[in-house]
Amino acid sequence: MDDLFTSPTGKWTPVSPALATARKLIGLVVSAVIALLGAAVTAVLASITQGWWWVGVVIIALAVGFATWMWWWAPRNQRSWGYAETDQDLLVRGGLMFRRFVAIPYGRMQFVDVESGPIARKFGFASVSLNTASTSTAATIPGVPLDEAARLRDKLTELGESHGAGL
Amino acid sequence: MAQDFEPPEVASSPANPAATNPIAPEQPAPTELEGQRTHPLTGLIQGLIWGAIAASALGTQQLSGDNNFLFSLAIVVTGFFAGVFLGLTSWLFTRYSINDEEVRIDRGLVFRSSRRIPYERLQSVDINEPLIARLVGLSELTIEMAGGSQSQNVIRFLTLDDARRLRRLLLSKAHGTALDEQVEGSRMPESKELITVVPPDRILYGALLSLDFAFAVLSAVVAVVAGLYFVSSRFFSDGGGPWGVFLAVVPFAWGIIQMINSRILAQWNFSLSRHRNGLRIERGLLSRSSQTIPYDRVQGIAVIEPVIWRRLGWSKLDVDVAGYGESATTEGGVSSNTLLPISDRMLAEYVLNLLIPDADRARYEELRPPRRSRVFAPIGWKYRSIRTTDTTISSKTGWIRTSTDVIPLHKVQSVQMTQGPLQRRLGLASAQVHTPDGPVNTQILHLDQFEARRLVFDQVERAKRARLAAAGRAFGPDVDHPGHFAGIEPVVGQSDPLG
Repeated sequence: MDDLFTSPTGKWTPVSPALATARKLIGLVVSAVIALLGAAVTAVLASITQGWWWVGVVIIALAVGFATWMWWWAPRNQRSWGYAETDQDLLVRGGLMFRRFVAIPYGRMQFVDVESGPIARKFGFASVSLNTASTSTAATIPGVPLDEAARLRDKLTELGESHGAGL
Repeated sequence: MAQDFEPPEVASSPANPAATNPIAPEQPAPTELEGQRTHPLTGLIQGLIWGAIAASALGTQQLSGDNNFLFSLAIVVTGFFAGVFLGLTSWLFTRYSINDEEVRIDRGLVFRSSRRIPYERLQSVDINEPLIARLVGLSELTIEMAGGSQSQNVIRFLTLDDARRLRRLLLSKAHGTALDEQVEGSRMPESKELITVVPPDRILYGALLSLDFAFAVLSAVVAVVAGLYFVSSRFFSDGGGPWGVFLAVVPFAWGIIQMINSRILAQWNFSLSRHRNGLRIERGLLSRSSQTIPYDRVQGIAVIEPVIWRRLGWSKLDVDVAGYGESATTEGGVSSNTLLPISDRMLAEYVLNLLIPDADRARYEELRPPRRSRVFAPIGWKYRSIRTTDTTISSKTGWIRTSTDVIPLHKVQSVQMTQGPLQRRLGLASAQVHTPDGPVNTQILHLDQFEARRLVFDQVERAKRARLAAAGRAFGPDVDHPGHFAGIEPVVGQSDPLG
């Protein structure tokens, strides 16, 4: 990413490339299903009416377009995510089109959630969410490798308690 | 209805309340309570309310049905008594306890619930007198916790004296200060200093001169005119014509009534006093409400100046207290975010300085969006700015409704910078400073991107320093020397600062 989102500590810890792989896979599956649906629609419409069969083709085209876009977007989005730990705050940056950078003081963290669905677990990553007293903080880091996620959670909880700044 | 303020007691200082207390208490008041029930009338009142609701609901349902009249009557009466019974039993099985660590409210017979409120999470205690309870001299106590929508805990109903006593007890426990034995148990009012009472005419003018009120009235008039037009031109012979007009007007009329209620009735005789633990707000005509805003829980203040009010120098102050959430509860209920419904500039500055003191308010750094941000807001961009000092950050935005949002830096939660695709093209970015949910929203949109980055990192650093500084000193302003605003004397007694 460009200069604007450079880390003050010099480097960003990246998230797992498996995030991109998982997203590409999901994209493929979803678009395959939609393409099949489109094919079915084409067949049905072609047998019933004369001129409307192209609707099914449009659906297939949309599915292919979706898969292509996901193939392009997933790795770039994955590379855009990063976090850095300074002595007082956790810095998180992410996003491809709508980029975001958040700095969260350790003492302000209320709780840290580590979540992973079945696909995420298979690929070995989880998403770490940090909550403060403000719901607009919304800092969720997707695609963190599982052991790193556990380490982050423990470290952040411990730092949160020791820096606890009250409300 | 007479104003039932606690009379302001300026002369007594917390250090020596015995000097002004002629009544010696018979025994030391209890500081621990176990398994207390609320006032017995509670059951009756709650029962009546629920009975009335049940009866009216069943009644309207039966009206549309075809049943035998006696049968319908029986159903309605049964519903009424069922409501009364439920109300009585709910009172019977609700108990509250106060001990050294927490307040506990236990409810229910079949489905039991026990809500515990540890004192560290207790934000404030407010007293509300809904109209029905007020008629019999009862009130309800609302305990605010930090965080979430489930944080309102109500103890209903207590006599007003009991409620005040309980509030003193809870606040003293929450703030860890020993309860003054001489003050407790007597009918002596707590020491506090009246800052201002908003006069009724100011409230009325303020409500009438506000844009949304004018808009609501205009919509109602348009609806009536349109309805009449349709009635006269199309449904002339149709007996249902007038109903159409009526139905069209009803939603607008309801909106106006709601607005009148929350703007005028709920803010009647709005009085602001400085109290040991925080600012005390007492307001309301039909239902009175007494709310305490603790000094150290103030997360931010928004000063709102709608366009018409700006000409007259009036503004409204909203306060962001952790746990109160985004908007006031309906019917102008207790935990409102309104700090001052309408005030002039001097008073607004005074209150702002009292709650968010800033020694170097005059020495600020200001950032404004560049000209190229006019793509996003053709008119508004000129009116946006953000000002930072060592202890606060404030942002100003809006040309019809100017809003200045001030946050003390030691209350900042997180800091954020965002950039969308169009912003990236133009070299802009937005910066936001997060606080717990509330009416205060400090942000600057579409700033030059490198300025935004510098601002964000700057704020992270300053917030850190402010947090460390705050941890090393007692919270809240020194009550005897509020703020550092030169030239403003604290207002004492009944004199009217609004002149």
